[in-house]
Amino acid sequence: MARRVGEEGRAAERAIRRTRAPFPRWLPRRLTALELLATLARRRALAIKLGFPLVLVVPLVATSAPPFFAGMLLTVLVTLIGAVGTGVTVVRARGGGWLARLAVLPLSPARVGVELLLASWLVDAVQGSLVIGLVLAWRQPAPLVGLTCWLLVLAVLAIANALGLALAALTDHPGETMLGLAVLLAPLLFLAGLFTGVPAAGPRAWIAVVLPFTYLDQAFQLVLGGNPPSGAPPSFALAAAVTALVAIASAAALGGAVLRREG
Amino acid sequence: MSRGSGPARLPAAAAPPALEARGLCRRFRNGRGAGPVDLMVHPGEVVALLGPNGSGKSTLLRCLATLTRPSAGSVAWWGDRDRTRARARLGVGFDVSAHVEEASGLQNLAFFAAHQGTGSGVDRSRLEAVLAGHDLLAVADDPVATYSFGMRRRLLLAEALCHDPDLILLDEPTVGLDVTAAHRLAAGLRQRAGAGAAVCLASNDTGFVERTADRVGFLDQGQMVRDAPVATLLAELGTLRELRLRCVGAAPIDRLRRLAGVATVAATPDGVVLTAHPRDGLVADVVQALGDADRVLQDLQIRDPDLSDCFLALVGRPLEV
Repeated sequence: MARRVGEEGRAAERAIRRTRAPFPRWLPRRLTALELLATLARRRALAIKLGFPLVLVVPLVATSAPPFFAGMLLTVLVTLIGAVGTGVTVVRARGGGWLARLAVLPLSPARVGVELLLASWLVDAVQGSLVIGLVLAWRQPAPLVGLTCWLLVLAVLAIANALGLALAALTDHPGETMLGLAVLLAPLLFLAGLFTGVPAAGPRAWIAVVLPFTYLDQAFQLVLGGNPPSGAPPSFALAAAVTALVAIASAAALGGAVLRREG
Repeated sequence: MSRGSGPARLPAAAAPPALEARGLCRRFRNGRGAGPVDLMVHPGEVVALLGPNGSGKSTLLRCLATLTRPSAGSVAWWGDRDRTRARARLGVGFDVSAHVEEASGLQNLAFFAAHQGTGSGVDRSRLEAVLAGHDLLAVADDPVATYSFGMRRRLLLAEALCHDPDLILLDEPTVGLDVTAAHRLAAGLRQRAGAGAAVCLASNDTGFVERTADRVGFLDQGQMVRDAPVATLLAELGTLRELRLRCVGAAPIDRLRRLAGVATVAATPDGVVLTAHPRDGLVADVVQALGDADRVLQDLQIRDPDLSDCFLALVGRPLEV
């Protein structure tokens, strides 16, 4: 027989529980909110996540590192911030049976994909904003240049999260996901001209035009006082908008494969 | 213990079955899996799938719960094969109780309640009442990471049942539950079935199945070897009671055979297994027979036949190894 607890008893229990309730205490309706809540509850991990990029960024902006080199490193850092967490987290969630539970809920796969992306992106956006905030505060570029660079950071984080989701759809082990990321990102970053610059013409020049990493790298170089080979802030802002849209569409398309729901 | 809860309630003639699987088959590359299986569960009916580990119960349940697509055959929910529409009316509890560990039990429940169409959504009082019904109110705001295995299982059940689903699909629902919680679950499922819900369980817990189910489907190596009402299955076994004896020295088998009501006596490596028609004084007579033969009784276990005996009789192998 179920134990019956009246409203009075529940109120008393609630008062006791408040004294030892975990932070935060809101009741999540959406997957994004639940995932975000889990991230916020892991306070030490969150502090490390938010703090570790600064270890790299502070010496890069505080010293006279060449803009080409500093821009490349910052672009790689932002890309990894976005891609690594999502892929590994989703693969672990599948291994633990969480995704199977989501798969039998009346939720569309597209919605699950977008909500998973959004949960990771929101935390990454805070992390990325700390990075770009420090860079902008130190170098103080023109406001439009700074704003464009920040938008590109947010957009690259979104597309990197989508790449993480794509790898999570293909792999079943966190180690496999990490390896997949290295195999996928290294050529993309090379083609974006991070290591050698973008050639003036030819197939590589055309490929670089469609890669968001190209624009972020060049925006960082602008902020850091370098001479980017091409582009201007308005076209960079357009690149950021297109990148964000592609990221959301990709996440929606990947939802079914991530859940491994068959139909 | 009440056994074989009477004849299964007959469904209304016009109502389509809540669940209908025809030739359902799901095979993996290694040849394991389940099917082909025919299964029907009507509103108001509790059906249990019983079988040893690896018999295909969970595979079958995953197909019925819309998670995996059958390799062959079909599944219809209320006469409709659309999985998306079906999901809105299902309450599913798999054998793994996965949660967002850093969130509290209340927060996990709120998420499932919000997505499973409870009218009141994430109303705190209602959610707390649900948790109270599963003895989890005291830990409602604690992170799930601090829960015991049994508490996680109860939370899983609370999440699966919080929206009063029309079709309940549970895999090994009593794993991790204490006796009280298992009895409460059995009563709760019977109550929901009484209110018109259809229930399909996969379990190895014969006692729970006998208390809860109207009908049992025995699965072995992916095949449905028998599908019948619990009462019918137990009636087929008869009423013979089993006594397992262990004594110092060889048991006086001939003397035991001559006792009134005794049907069979067989020596085993551990002692003697005796079957007999229940009667007053049977145990006393057995003890007396041993004493007359100068044997000292070391151990005596008495057991009434249950569904595991049905499985043994059908398949020739025990349900649990």
